[in-house]
Amino acid sequence: MMQSKLNKYGYLFILPFFAVFLTFTVYPIVLTFYYSFTSYSGFGDAAFIGMENYQRLISDDYFWEAFYNTIYIWGINFGFQLGIALLLALLFSDIRLKMKGLSFFRAAFYLPNLITIASVALLFGILLGWHHGTINHLLLDLGLINEPINWLNNPTTARWSVALIGAWMWFGNTFIILMAGISGISNDYFEAALIDGANRLQMFTKITLPLLKPIMLYVLITSLIGGLQIFDLPMLLTDGRGSPQGSLNTMVLYLYNQAFKFNNYGYAAAIAYGLFIITVCFSLITFKAMYRKSVKGE
Amino acid sequence: MGEACMKKVFALLMMALLTLGLAACGDSESGGGDGASSGKKTLTVWSFTDELEPAIETFKEKFDVEVELTIVPIEDYPTRLRPVLESGQGAPDIFTGELAFIKDWIEQGYWETLNQEPYNVDDIEDDYIDYVFELGRNSNGEVKALSWQTTPGGIFYRRSIAQEVFGTDDLAEIGEMFSTRESMLEAGDQLKEAGYRLFPDEGAIRWFAQGQDPQPWVNEDNELNMTEGRLNYFDYAKELREKDLTAFAPEWSPSWFAAMDGPINYNAGWDEVAEEAETEVEVFSYALPTWGLHSVLKENVEETAGDWAVTSGPNPYYWGGTWLGMYSQSENKDLAWEFIKMMTHDEEFLTDWAMETGDVLSYLPVTDKIKDEFSEDFLDGQNNYTFFLEEAQKINPDTVTRYDQQLDSMFGTVVSEYVEGVKTKDEAIAEFYNLVNSSYPDIITPDEQ
Amino acid sequence: MRSEKSNKQKITKGFFYFLLALLVVISFIPFYMMIVNATRSNSDILKEGFTLIPGTAIADNYNVLLEYMNLWRGFLNSLIVAVAVTVLSSYFSALTAFGFAIYKFKGSNFLFVMILVLMMVPGQLGLIGFYDIMRTFNLLDSYVPLIVPSIASTFTVFFLRQFLSSVLHSSLIEAARIDGAGEFKIFHKIGIPMMMPAISTMAIFAFIGSWNNYILPLVVLFSPEKYTLPVMMGALRGSQVAQNLGAMYLGIAISVVPIMIAFVFLSKYIISSISAGAVKE
Repeated sequence: MMQSKLNKYGYLFILPFFAVFLTFTVYPIVLTFYYSFTSYSGFGDAAFIGMENYQRLISDDYFWEAFYNTIYIWGINFGFQLGIALLLALLFSDIRLKMKGLSFFRAAFYLPNLITIASVALLFGILLGWHHGTINHLLLDLGLINEPINWLNNPTTARWSVALIGAWMWFGNTFIILMAGISGISNDYFEAALIDGANRLQMFTKITLPLLKPIMLYVLITSLIGGLQIFDLPMLLTDGRGSPQGSLNTMVLYLYNQAFKFNNYGYAAAIAYGLFIITVCFSLITFKAMYRKSVKGE
Repeated sequence: MGEACMKKVFALLMMALLTLGLAACGDSESGGGDGASSGKKTLTVWSFTDELEPAIETFKEKFDVEVELTIVPIEDYPTRLRPVLESGQGAPDIFTGELAFIKDWIEQGYWETLNQEPYNVDDIEDDYIDYVFELGRNSNGEVKALSWQTTPGGIFYRRSIAQEVFGTDDLAEIGEMFSTRESMLEAGDQLKEAGYRLFPDEGAIRWFAQGQDPQPWVNEDNELNMTEGRLNYFDYAKELREKDLTAFAPEWSPSWFAAMDGPINYNAGWDEVAEEAETEVEVFSYALPTWGLHSVLKENVEETAGDWAVTSGPNPYYWGGTWLGMYSQSENKDLAWEFIKMMTHDEEFLTDWAMETGDVLSYLPVTDKIKDEFSEDFLDGQNNYTFFLEEAQKINPDTVTRYDQQLDSMFGTVVSEYVEGVKTKDEAIAEFYNLVNSSYPDIITPDEQ
Repeated sequence: MRSEKSNKQKITKGFFYFLLALLVVISFIPFYMMIVNATRSNSDILKEGFTLIPGTAIADNYNVLLEYMNLWRGFLNSLIVAVAVTVLSSYFSALTAFGFAIYKFKGSNFLFVMILVLMMVPGQLGLIGFYDIMRTFNLLDSYVPLIVPSIASTFTVFFLRQFLSSVLHSSLIEAARIDGAGEFKIFHKIGIPMMMPAISTMAIFAFIGSWNNYILPLVVLFSPEKYTLPVMMGALRGSQVAQNLGAMYLGIAISVVPIMIAFVFLSKYIISSISAGAVKE
């Protein structure tokens, strides 16, 4: 009786959230959707042009190039990020080795996460300079290369640079998350396996990996959604347009330039929805793949 | 992790917020209070360089007012400024425009029209070098902005290196060597043999690729003009790279500036470099316009001051220039107009300005007065004024379009892709057309015609 | 036999520690280059190349930097925004989660599902519309678009609600009601302390997220004195400071070193929060 009377408080409690949510999140999304059917230039009237923006999007080489670049960069980045993090997790979870200093290493590897990406981009932008960059100077001094490499002026090295800088920034975070998952696995499993004489690799592939699946899914999905939106590094590492040869032109960078540099807001809105559809597809595929595997495995 | 600890952290955060909140309030109060308490008016100015700073100091003293100058890097400048002007929020009283985007801006309503009461700038039209005044006028005949300077370009070179390599530092003789593209590259070879480099980078040659008959990027029919000269730029840049005549110091990069004042590190590769001497290299010349003297060279040079001279290249060119206009919605127009007046037609001020900086003015009453006597210590006493004023006569403003800033930068990108050898010339050109179509769907590129 | 095995173990272990140390060195060498180069003059860096020995030009570099851009101001701006975002998102998410967990009202399921669905939407989807609305409201070039939307942090609400349903004892709340406490008092006195561990986990994420946010402040802020640190760093790239590598490195160092120092003191707390956030997922 008393409870049901008080239930109206529920509306009061969630009111601020929904007021802001509708104004600042839902409405902009709806408005962007509307603009994606117009030739809106940011100012003045928005003329309705039907599906024209979407037709352009589908046949726009730059958008698909941006899509390819984004996936390319994310793929390398995620491979290294997860690879290093998994190796570290394997090392620290090994009950025979009993490695010490986990909290120190965790902290040391995590640090780059806290530094604003803008600073990281600027730092590597000048460290990776061609004839006058410190990294080339160092590599020349060490005799590892014979002539300075123009890292940021070649599509392959530029993409790899962005991907590896990303991996360098984020592997610590992935490592922490994986360790958190591993610490949730009961030690009994490992003890039992040890008695059965399982080797390191068997323990890892037969016990750790399967039990880590949910947390790996979490890492994969968050990294994918973040990776599809990569913007700061490509924007700040070169000329802001994704040079060299458009190899760093990512989807969000393309969106930003179309909207805020060339004032093609209507088209940029269509890019946003293209990006959204791609994100949804990828997330669904990931979920499906992980789910099917786990069904087979069990 | 105890709960007590978390509480502490949370309390700390709250305290930080409070302190910051108070600090921010205090700040804004004192910020607004400054002007109010001293009873001074405040003029706000937005620009893309710091070149106005000395003028602002003079203006503050002269009129006993406050001036706030906001500098935004040029590549972001139009993107940042446009929404401010559109909304009027935090908009400046005066904002400057650069040659590369002035055509776009004079057509918008952001700048106050100056050839109307009470400004009547048409009355003083004859006091300016024609093209400078005309570039501030839009298609309706309204004058939106004025400039105090003219910006023809030349080639600045190091006298001591000229003496060493060519046996002379004479303006006419060096000018002769640079009078055609071929002779310029020959001089480059000679310089290279002596361990010097002709230019800091390939970008320097873009001004000389267009030849005697430069064309606008986009014509009246909205068609992209891919002229012979523009196509030549590909080959010239490639030739410079292949002959190894530059120091790999890209324009506006730290090494570009450093190479003005002495040798810079040059790692051509360990295999090629046998002698120790080749790890450093010195640059002979820079293609720069009038303002390159006071806002680039003088600012970045100590050792080599007095060792420079300026002469003409294979063809005349011009580069940049700052126009001033006042915001049409400004509530401070009287004061803003005073500043523009001082900056563009105050004889006394402009005379001082020119003598101080070496900036080449577009205001004829002052240039007529000072040009004959002018002598620039930085250029070992050369009269760069007469030189540049003559070059200014050759400027044709019809080549300026509203697309210049973005198109120049896209074009530079594809040319360097060709120079790097990653694209053939045809691929690079096709790429350029694609870029243009993607950014400006309205422009008709030659492949669409 | 046994000692041989433990010897082998020791060598393996030593090898792994060596690898770890190497990884730490790789993680830190960019920062070390940055700090060394921040103390060297432009011509020094260009002429001498790589070195491990600091130079003497730090004061000059600092002057060049500050003449153009006040990075400390950017620091302060970022801090104001990040702290405000943290506090608002923590408080209002707790309030919302509490509302969903305690009360049964019409439409609550539908609304919660709506939150779940929109949680998956990438942040850039509404960017164009968001910018347009902010301009209509005359809120551009202010911190409102950066701070206020954090009141509606979908993920935090979701996380807190999940947390609450696992720790909530309704008897506690009933008892408080019988004592005559009002609903908001119950939220403040019982709800918030109950959720505190989860709130502080999410607070860390909110702070880091806001601190690193680049695209939104880049789009909505125009006046350089309002720039947050990331936008200021971006602007540094095209500025006159970029002519001087030493000053550039120093600028980057200023944006990085205080965070490193803060991290030394807070690392334990931050890392345990991230671990908690991941496992509760």
